[in-house]
Amino acid sequence: MERINQRLGVLSALPVVVFLAAGFLAPLCVVAAFSIMPQKVFSLANLPDFSSYALMIQEGYWESLLVSLAMAFAATFILFVICWPLAFAMAKVFGRFTLVLTIGVVMTLFVSENIRLFGWVLTLMKGGLIEGYWRSWTGQSFDGLLYNVPVIIFGLVYVYLPFMLFPLAQGIAMVPDDARQAAFDLGANRWQIFREVELPLSAPGIAVGCLITFVLTAGAIAESKLLGGRAVIVISDEIERSFTYGQNWPLGSALAMTLIAVVGSFAIFGVTRIDLDAIMGRKR
Amino acid sequence: MELTRRQFTKYLGAGAGLAAFGAARPAFAARDKEMNILCWEGYNTDNVLGPFRKAFPGVTARAESGTSDPDMINKLRAGELKVWDLINVNQPWARQQLFPEKLIKPLSKERFLPYFSKMSPEFSAPYPLAFAESGELIGMPQRYGPFSFVVNTDKISRKTAEDQGWSLFLDPAMKGRFGVLTYDNWNVIHLCLTAGVNPFKAVGDDGVTKFTEATKTVFGGAKMLSDDLVAMNTALINGEIDAYFTGGTYTASPARFDGANNIRAITPNSGPVDGKGGVVWVELTSVVNNPDVSPLAEDFLEFVQKAEIAKAVSFAEGTYNPVSQMGDPAIFKLWNNAELDAIQWDSLSEELSRSADFSVVPDYDALLKIYTAAKRR
Repeated sequence: MERINQRLGVLSALPVVVFLAAGFLAPLCVVAAFSIMPQKVFSLANLPDFSSYALMIQEGYWESLLVSLAMAFAATFILFVICWPLAFAMAKVFGRFTLVLTIGVVMTLFVSENIRLFGWVLTLMKGGLIEGYWRSWTGQSFDGLLYNVPVIIFGLVYVYLPFMLFPLAQGIAMVPDDARQAAFDLGANRWQIFREVELPLSAPGIAVGCLITFVLTAGAIAESKLLGGRAVIVISDEIERSFTYGQNWPLGSALAMTLIAVVGSFAIFGVTRIDLDAIMGRKR
Repeated sequence: MELTRRQFTKYLGAGAGLAAFGAARPAFAARDKEMNILCWEGYNTDNVLGPFRKAFPGVTARAESGTSDPDMINKLRAGELKVWDLINVNQPWARQQLFPEKLIKPLSKERFLPYFSKMSPEFSAPYPLAFAESGELIGMPQRYGPFSFVVNTDKISRKTAEDQGWSLFLDPAMKGRFGVLTYDNWNVIHLCLTAGVNPFKAVGDDGVTKFTEATKTVFGGAKMLSDDLVAMNTALINGEIDAYFTGGTYTASPARFDGANNIRAITPNSGPVDGKGGVVWVELTSVVNNPDVSPLAEDFLEFVQKAEIAKAVSFAEGTYNPVSQMGDPAIFKLWNNAELDAIQWDSLSEELSRSADFSVVPDYDALLKIYTAAKRR
């Protein structure tokens, strides 16, 4: 009976597996194949070489990759620090108000990222909301706050906040109140409770939140373009430009594959360390 | 009515099957009732497509606006040749990429050559770059515009900018006072001009050295980089910058039409391309080499030559540009003074006389590498 069940299971999963393979794996395979084509060809019917990967190293494209990864790390860390208290309050303190907060945060996702970022451009630019008011009150002017690295990281933090907040709140909700109270009773201080009870028990939520935000911020492009005035060139920008103005699909593919490989390794490392069943509340 | 789960699944399956059949059907239909155009913003507006639909009742006309020439060309290369009937890109992309790679096909000279005679003097000859090297007519010119750089004339006078030309951006006094509109292919051309090198000929070792120097100085002095012309105009209007490198009537016109007449596209008085320092772009609209191309494609191309439609193309949403049909006095009278001012009609012909045609850059790959590396730092 169990074998029949298993076979039925495989059969029922087959359509979805085929769909996923066609929808997710096939395009990735095409990109991977293009990444080992000679420079500036538009078909896969060529003898493979690794010139794009060589070019990536020789021409310094790896610098953009490092810049993207560094900003992604910084944004993820800042998001964790900002979201922890808020997520804690959502899971343990706010009660019904959590719903209002959730709706409020989710609502921002209904507005296009570019429009939200342009709102910030109007706020931070010279003659914008901040500098304009400052000038009218004090008569003194200063340069706008745009076009630098910190403002790009600010944009990343702003745009990707929900992706850290919700998994974190989910993770914190998993910490039983009894465990915290028991720790208090046994004489632990706030810091010890945070470090030895809350942090380990909510680790799956932390890992998921950090992974999602890191993966998304590493591939982000709009923040550097709109807020940063390309103060630094991010890897997604290089990929886009290789495919368009560069008309060099193999180079774009090689850059994309490298980004996928680096971010993918982080993701796989993270996923193997967390118990998704525990987060879904089905831990046996 | 009660519906069992089994019945529900059956109906769902039947529905999905029908939907798949329905979706597949248009692929086999004759294409004389539909036409798809891939274009820069303008041809996709209701002001252009609406009258076309009215003139050809029962026709489904769709248009998608691209964000760059290569972006649109990529669509054809990626297998959308069967989808599109017309493509509208800048002239070098049509002549150097689309036609040699058989992504577009020649137009009927009998049908289209007569339209050239009524165009502005620059196009009536007819316009040589609408033809392939082999002599075929590969597209119809309509929108065009000088494209060099843009200044705020309250800060830098038009005369100073025109006299100083590209060296304005090498001037130490300009450090931190300008932006770069990062249209890569244009930047490479303009950086050559800044370096005093003709980009449309092989630049040689000396040219590469000069280009590298100019590129470093320009990026070193730039306060901001953006590929968004609205962001650039905004920064220019609010005083964040006084000029931006790479820009023209196309980018300055929306700000001017909104009343910011101090934003002005500049064409330098002199430069290294046979004495010319400016560059002019011209769009060509071509018929895609679709194996099942719609017969309406050429009808549409003819339709946009009409007065009202040419005006609608010129003043579409987003940016405003002169069109070649303005050479016909009957068509020209449709533009009012504010509109003519937005597209800098007062200086257009002299600017064109100081501009070289946007063309292929033989050393583009080598120069792009230097450009990309300098931009990253």
